[in-house]
Amino acid sequence: MSMSKFTRRELAATLATSAVLLGRPQAQPNAQPLPANADEELKASEAQLRDGAGQLDKFPLPMSTEPATTFKP
Amino acid sequence: MPSISDDIFFAGITEINQKLTKKEFSAHELARAFCDRLEAIGPRYNALALSLRKTALRDAKDVDGDIKRERLRGPLQGIPFGAKDLLSFAKHPTTWGAQPYAGQVFDYTAGALKHIQKHGGVLTGKLAMVELAGGPSYRYASASLTGPGLNPWDTTRWSGGSSSGSAIAVAAGLVTYALGSETSGSILTPSAFCGVTGLRPTYGLVSRNGAMALSWTLDKIGPICRSAEDCGLVLEAIAGADPDDPSSAHKSFYYTPQFSRDLKDVTIGFEPADFSDGVDPAARADYAKALDTIRSLGVRLTQTKLPEFPYGPVIGAIISTEGSAVFEPLIKSGKVDQLADQHQIAGLKAGLEIPAKDYLKAMRIRSLIQEAFRDLLSTVDVLIAPTRFEPAPKITQPLDRRSADRPTPSVAGFGALIPAGNLAGLPALSIPCGFANGMPMGLQLVGSPFSENMLLAIGRTFQERTDWHQRRPPIPT
Repeated sequence: MSMSKFTRRELAATLATSAVLLGRPQAQPNAQPLPANADEELKASEAQLRDGAGQLDKFPLPMSTEPATTFKP
Repeated sequence: MPSISDDIFFAGITEINQKLTKKEFSAHELARAFCDRLEAIGPRYNALALSLRKTALRDAKDVDGDIKRERLRGPLQGIPFGAKDLLSFAKHPTTWGAQPYAGQVFDYTAGALKHIQKHGGVLTGKLAMVELAGGPSYRYASASLTGPGLNPWDTTRWSGGSSSGSAIAVAAGLVTYALGSETSGSILTPSAFCGVTGLRPTYGLVSRNGAMALSWTLDKIGPICRSAEDCGLVLEAIAGADPDDPSSAHKSFYYTPQFSRDLKDVTIGFEPADFSDGVDPAARADYAKALDTIRSLGVRLTQTKLPEFPYGPVIGAIISTEGSAVFEPLIKSGKVDQLADQHQIAGLKAGLEIPAKDYLKAMRIRSLIQEAFRDLLSTVDVLIAPTRFEPAPKITQPLDRRSADRPTPSVAGFGALIPAGNLAGLPALSIPCGFANGMPMGLQLVGSPFSENMLLAIGRTFQERTDWHQRRPPIPT
């Protein structure tokens, strides 16, 4: 299954509106204290994943874009 | 019995192989010397997971027999090497760097190791790694069954990971080369931090059969060596189609320096700020010289921007989802709590709850990333950046916290090149290019899929004009 193609205009529009979401290394600001125990670590990890998902939700994705997987029958 | 001089421990593959075929020493003598050194010095840096002395000496004797009969198998014949302990070696423990798997034994050998065995390579040991190749994330260098990888250049600093033992062993002359793996940075980072040369191949070029999976769509096996030349020789041996690897690209790799493209025809994209205020201040002078050396190769350097995508959240979602799925039995059994790093444990548990829509969204954005890099790499041949923008951190420093005294660079630059390159399945080479306060720093070259020969040509030529890759850390005997 091949990836759906989209026009260069669509790609340019997508990139222009996603400028604020540029990926950076994962380092967090030092102001946040480290979790004190396993429960806090789990909550922090869940929050980090939710935060990441929120950033992905803001990324404009053309409806025709298919996942980067290839099925080989 | 001739003694093996210290210079041999730091020599390259071709030099050692020539001495073997000229019978300056035997493969058995060589293997014994390297095993002695690996067993004596490896544990000082927490680099050794398992010595394979018995099988190494047996294989070395076979090599001597072959050489005697002039059955020559190529440059890797008789060369002692190590393998990251996520590669299975039949009937020996393969721990994945993790306590829950400390006693794990497989009855098969990983595809990449079998390839090297066919070339007469001598596996002297399994090398330490960050537990589960780093999983979704870990906070401390101590995230390993064998403890933190200690940098041979300064043992108060981390070796980098997750291929920690592989990079340490090459840097300290404990093996001539090693196999590592990378999901996002695990070959490039320890190579840069330890001052050695690491090659992340194109996704699918080297079989993952017999290697622990962390992320099916991101994992790659690759060489960590003393030079770009050696990376080329090892990649030729381990690359190739494997019907037992669903992700195999079904392509071979032939290291062909004699046919490498004229570097005057090569265009390299970069962000100048990465080599000035983007990088640690103590490294700026050596990075400036490195850029001058790159220019002196005749290539054309052009200022370029990386496509703008949320690389961090995309790769985070993919590794978390796939990694937690791989280790679902570990998590649900509760044995995940035996891991060394609390952040890793929490990340694996949280990853099981990621909704499918979030994973699929990340994979859809990944399609756009692949397309964007195809477009970018049609305008330039190679991208270049510091491998890491700071030297190796202290052992006790939380790895997910930025250094307090390092301001955020004014220009985004190529800081996301490691996750971006991995998401797009691109090959990358990290070569040593200088020091920052006594700690090695690396230069990262990234190319189009299956452009390893071009990356190696640039790396090899750079290493003909510099000697960073020949520097040796102080190893107390």
